[in-house]
Amino acid sequence: MTDRLRQALAEVSAAASAFSEQMTDFDGLLQAITASCARALDASVSVGLFGDDGATITPVAVTPVRPTVEGALEGMLRHARRFDQSLVGQLAPDTGNVFVPQVDLSDLRDRLTREAYDALEHFGIRGLIQITMRVRGEKLGVLTVIRHDTGRAPLDDFDREIATHLASVAGFAIANARLYRRVQDELAGRLSAEQVAQHMRTSETRAIQANAFLDAILENIPAMVFVKDADRLSFVRFNRAGEELLGIPRAELIGKNDFDLFPKEEAAFFVEKDRETLRNQKMVDIPEEPIQTASGTRWLHTRKVPILDEHGESRYLLGISHDITDRKRDMAALERARDAAESASGELESFSYSVAHDLRAPLRAIDGFSQALIDELGDELGEVGRGYAQRVRNSAQRMATLIDDLLRLSRVTRSPLHFQRVDLAELFHTTVATLQRDDPKRRVEISSSGDLVTRGDPRLLAIMFDNLVGNAWKFTSRREIAHIALAAEMLDGERVFSISDDGVGFDMKYVQKLFGVFNRLHTDSDFPGTGVGLATVQRVVARHGGRAWARGEVGAGATFSFTLGAKT
Amino acid sequence: MTERVILLVEDNRDDEELTLRALAKSKITNPVVVVRDGVEALDWMFRRGTHASRSEHQVPQVVLLDLKLPKVDGLEVLRELRANDATKLTPVVILTSSVEEQDLIRGYGLGANSYIRKPVDFTQFVEAVRQLGLYWLVLNQPIPS
Repeated sequence: MTDRLRQALAEVSAAASAFSEQMTDFDGLLQAITASCARALDASVSVGLFGDDGATITPVAVTPVRPTVEGALEGMLRHARRFDQSLVGQLAPDTGNVFVPQVDLSDLRDRLTREAYDALEHFGIRGLIQITMRVRGEKLGVLTVIRHDTGRAPLDDFDREIATHLASVAGFAIANARLYRRVQDELAGRLSAEQVAQHMRTSETRAIQANAFLDAILENIPAMVFVKDADRLSFVRFNRAGEELLGIPRAELIGKNDFDLFPKEEAAFFVEKDRETLRNQKMVDIPEEPIQTASGTRWLHTRKVPILDEHGESRYLLGISHDITDRKRDMAALERARDAAESASGELESFSYSVAHDLRAPLRAIDGFSQALIDELGDELGEVGRGYAQRVRNSAQRMATLIDDLLRLSRVTRSPLHFQRVDLAELFHTTVATLQRDDPKRRVEISSSGDLVTRGDPRLLAIMFDNLVGNAWKFTSRREIAHIALAAEMLDGERVFSISDDGVGFDMKYVQKLFGVFNRLHTDSDFPGTGVGLATVQRVVARHGGRAWARGEVGAGATFSFTLGAKT
Repeated sequence: MTERVILLVEDNRDDEELTLRALAKSKITNPVVVVRDGVEALDWMFRRGTHASRSEHQVPQVVLLDLKLPKVDGLEVLRELRANDATKLTPVVILTSSVEEQDLIRGYGLGANSYIRKPVDFTQFVEAVRQLGLYWLVLNQPIPS
């Protein structure tokens, strides 16, 4: 079931119980109806009731969806009017039902009085639903739903279904409330005992019919709904979702109490909450409670509502329970995963810190004291000895570079992302300028083309460019005049960036190895490197939700391409 | 007579030796006082504990401070130096292996004057120490005592 449907059913069921609580307060009921509908449909809602003759309609309640339309709505609804001059009377005199998902005012101009047209135009109508509330064939009134603002979603069939549903629940509630009022009046002695008896019989029949309708709603609500007798706390009603949840047929539930059905401790908890609800005459919300069912322990989110009789005494207890077992399990799994990830990331953090600090210290000693050997004992070492000492130094320095590259790779993987506007052309030029400064003799011509402004994490992208442009710079070092180009182009609806050079290139046979850590296609004496750079590029791109790939040809240069994902 | 000394706070004997070599190679002739943990560094600065009797004519021209130290770490030493009127203006250069962003931010946040990562390459290390010595001991005008 979709979330929207679930939500709508919850609204309808909440409305139904809200309406039944308002039976003794007619105005309160009408206000509850418009408020519930406005919430369920995200629209302004009004209710108008037919007069006894059925020819006039009187606005009785309105809930504007926001304060700014209040005035306009009230103005339109202030007066009782003849049905044929009402909005619904003008638009659908026969059916009494109007459904215009997207209002085109120019379409309506000819069908409406000037007054009605102006009013609609004034509060920026988007969609309109009007439904005549009927109970047992009798027209009670009209529910009007107006969605404002031309920019919003139009009304759809689903909204109409919800509105129809709510209108019918509301209709019954209004009829029952009227009936109740009439009975009260009659009891006050205006009518003879016989008349009262007659009316009571009719009321009873009507009440039974209304009950059947409410039963149908109750039965189909996808949450467990149950009713308990307030004295004995035995079950008097159970809906289908309840049967299915417990795995016990209804016949075995009705008349039983919690102690007959559930383990003692559980039953005691349920009963305690029941008593609390009935004693305080207030709804009790139980966010989580376990319950034994035929298929094991399930977890419920339950609301318990007291249902009062006409003297204000608690008569029944209504319970509505949602099965939250799956959600609870998912949440727990999520939490465990997050904890694990957090502790792993914390360990990685301190590991990286140790690597940075503690592994470098001995390397510094190896390098420094090798130099001290050359300085202090150079003559005695001789050329070969000095050469060896120098090789020790070279190795120490290479290892330091490796450590730094690995640290950068790990930082790229774990540092939080901060997205902002990045001009890749600018980044490209800065990167090249740094390379040129360190290597002033090189002659490299650069060019850029296409839309190079994107969104991304500027620090990660800078690390990526250090690697990609640095590679292009390195592998073109044998060219007298080298060329490096940055380009952006749209391919299959996706922006693809690429950095190409006219350097030594590579054999496509090895393209799979390019992006792996420590994988190198060149010897260190040809082109120095650690084999971490492209792995770093890969991570940066992946963290942006994009991909990276390469093309090359031996002696004819290489092109590294990447995308930066939808967010960019 | 005032003696302008360099206070080197360093627990690693190798790094100590290398730093001294680098200072010597850079022709920096100021006396170097070496302390080996955070507590000793503070004792020396405040002339207390094991350094209660050190000459008050010795004035630290610059403190070279490692971050990872036994007992009291470098950032804590820095915090205490900055909290005390007598030492709050003493130039402190963090000289460490770490380039963790957090260390940089906290170091500068606590009032470090400079932050230098010790290079592995000894040639670069000598160059770094030479520039540092030139700057703090020659170019920079100390605050009048």
